[in-house]
Amino acid sequence: VPHPIGGVAEETVARKAASVVDDVLAALTRGGGGAAAAAGPAEPEASPHQAPDDLLDFQGFMMERGWGDGLPMIPATPERVASLLAGTRRPPGDLVAVLPPRLGRATVERVAVNAVLAGALPEHLPVIVAAVEAVGQPAFNLQAVQTTTHPCSPLVIVNGPLAARLGVNGGGNALGQGHRANAVIGRALRLVLQNVGGARPGREDRATQGHPGKYSYCVAENEAASPWEPLSVERGFSRETSTVTVCASESPHNINDHGSATPEGILTTVAGTAATVGSNNIYLGGEPLVVLGPEHAATVAGGGWSKADFKRALWERARVPLSRFDPSNVERFAVIHPAGFRDRPADTLVPIAREWSDIMVVVAGGAGKHSVFIPTFGATRSVTQRIEE
Amino acid sequence: MMHAMEILDPVGSTQAMSRALAPRPASLQGGVIGVLDNSKPNARVLLEGVARALAARVGARDVRVWRKPGASIGASAPVLDEIAAHCEAVLTASAD
Repeated sequence: VPHPIGGVAEETVARKAASVVDDVLAALTRGGGGAAAAAGPAEPEASPHQAPDDLLDFQGFMMERGWGDGLPMIPATPERVASLLAGTRRPPGDLVAVLPPRLGRATVERVAVNAVLAGALPEHLPVIVAAVEAVGQPAFNLQAVQTTTHPCSPLVIVNGPLAARLGVNGGGNALGQGHRANAVIGRALRLVLQNVGGARPGREDRATQGHPGKYSYCVAENEAASPWEPLSVERGFSRETSTVTVCASESPHNINDHGSATPEGILTTVAGTAATVGSNNIYLGGEPLVVLGPEHAATVAGGGWSKADFKRALWERARVPLSRFDPSNVERFAVIHPAGFRDRPADTLVPIAREWSDIMVVVAGGAGKHSVFIPTFGATRSVTQRIEE
Repeated sequence: MMHAMEILDPVGSTQAMSRALAPRPASLQGGVIGVLDNSKPNARVLLEGVARALAARVGARDVRVWRKPGASIGASAPVLDEIAAHCEAVLTASAD
């Protein structure tokens, strides 16, 4: 049935329904029942390929097969993969995760193949393996994250001493280009999701637009510049333990505040940027992410506020009046989130998350009066995973 | 002339099982047609519209509708079992 189905008059949908009745009847009564292959494993473990050794030809070879992201790749020769595997103690055949929608078996070796393609070095592999393990946890809801029309991609947040040792940038331009560790860790995870997980862009990956972070999306928390406990410590790990946290994230949206000298001032600007109508989190729940620049964080903490104080205050302040939603959306959201939207007065203020503690706050970036707000997919929880070095 | 190099496969094996489609009923006359609404806007309008038209065409006894709690969450096993126990055919869809 041709799109769109939502957002059009019911009579239009009814006409579309009428137009497919014959086809549906045929499929139900004369379809190939029992004609498909007998149940069994779909394919054996893959064997190596012969690829052209000229780099430009190799790039074409990879793109033709749907194995690339568009950028140049390093050929995953057996020698390069073996050398990358030296970066982990885990055996190559260990299963890290089974990744939907393809239910691809992400073994340590298969992760390493994609990590080579992404330009990773052996020391990056444990972080990449931990990120793959994290997105494979049920709470992450990877099936939906991989196939949704929503523009989201797992943001990998690295905490602990390993971040500095590997040079994962959490300082100036933390979410931008120019740092190998950030670039290759995020890119390797994306290639694993696309190739092993089978989320091919425009096919299983149904993103309406997607966003640039789908090439690579990795950042370190700037723990040295943070006045508060790191994300990993909030999640029950020690400061000495290195972790990755993955959250199915939109692109960053800037929060410019050059004027405020008080926690309340920063709060006003962050809340004003975060409280928007067209957000998944506002009706689906989940965990919107605030990445505070160190200078904003210092201003907030300088007023005596803990990280939890800031989250509570933001949850109270960052609200959208119900009157700003179109009635058709209120009707729809009332089904999904009755407590927030069903039979509520027009002056109801809708929070950006279900609970104050759902708001994630990390500190990253360098000098400057900017923070960023990153909404998430909604039907997903972030997952923090210890990195096994 | 192209020189070849060996590279390892980036895709690997899958745990997905290939499955045969369920045997098709010879007739839906007197049967129950189920609908699993994925909860997206107008999904029920579309699916129930098709189901009711089908039911009228083939002389089905009833149309029954189930609804997923959200489009991004799979139907639970008990719901799937219930649908299987009550229906001769079921319609569902994935889209917006």
